[in-house]
Amino acid sequence: MEIFRITRNAWGQETLEGMSWDLLPVAFGLGVAIIIGHLIWRAVRKPRTAPPRP
Amino acid sequence: MSPDPNLITRHAPIDRVFHWITALAVLLLLASAFLPILGLQFSWVPLHWITGVVLGAAVLFHVVRASFFQRLRCMVFGPKDLADLRSGRRAAKYTPAQKLMHAMLGTAVLVATVTGFIMLAKVDTPLWKRNPYLLEASTWGVVYVLHGAAALLTLTLTLLHIYFSLLPEKRGYLRAMIGGQMTRDEAAVYHDPNRWSGQRKDDPHENNR
Repeated sequence: MEIFRITRNAWGQETLEGMSWDLLPVAFGLGVAIIIGHLIWRAVRKPRTAPPRP
Repeated sequence: MSPDPNLITRHAPIDRVFHWITALAVLLLLASAFLPILGLQFSWVPLHWITGVVLGAAVLFHVVRASFFQRLRCMVFGPKDLADLRSGRRAAKYTPAQKLMHAMLGTAVLVATVTGFIMLAKVDTPLWKRNPYLLEASTWGVVYVLHGAAALLTLTLTLLHIYFSLLPEKRGYLRAMIGGQMTRDEAAVYHDPNRWSGQRKDDPHENNR
């Protein structure tokens, strides 16, 4: 998987074109993975409640 | 009609308008950037740059308002937040998690906005003609990398932001971002009433410590 998009110009020099769009599913997948992780953590932890009012 | 004593003000109307303009702009920018990459072809450039200018104006407004008319420090994550996390002390107006999310998403949107404004030099608009030679090719590459990295980070963080806003236990925050208010009981779960009460009508940051 590429991190950057790199092309060659007319003189054969490498030119940076930007981030590789291979990372698009990675960014989306990272978000989904964190959400799933949080859902699991949320299911097993004790729910937080407000202390009783004085 | 007297106000409900169980409701406290969390967000002023102007801040809610800013939030929803920003939210719509970010969603349109993500869609116009990434859907063509995924194969949905349409004329995305006009939608992208016009929405980007709207987002830039909104970000500028927010930076000025937060810096000079609100208490900036109530949103900055600091040592006190670490101490709160360790001790389990409830937060003032913003929880440590909210401050971190704001810092990350704010940085990503700011980088995308600044680099996006530089990239406007490559777009013909009714207001100016394109000038692709404004920067050297290698400098353009750095601008594109920063813009792309910020966009990818914004995608991840936007997913998380929407997810957290929809959780039942966080629904009070969503309601506050729509109507401005949340109940005292909802606030008391995460916020210490002695540190943030939201009572002063013209300043929702009142008592924030």
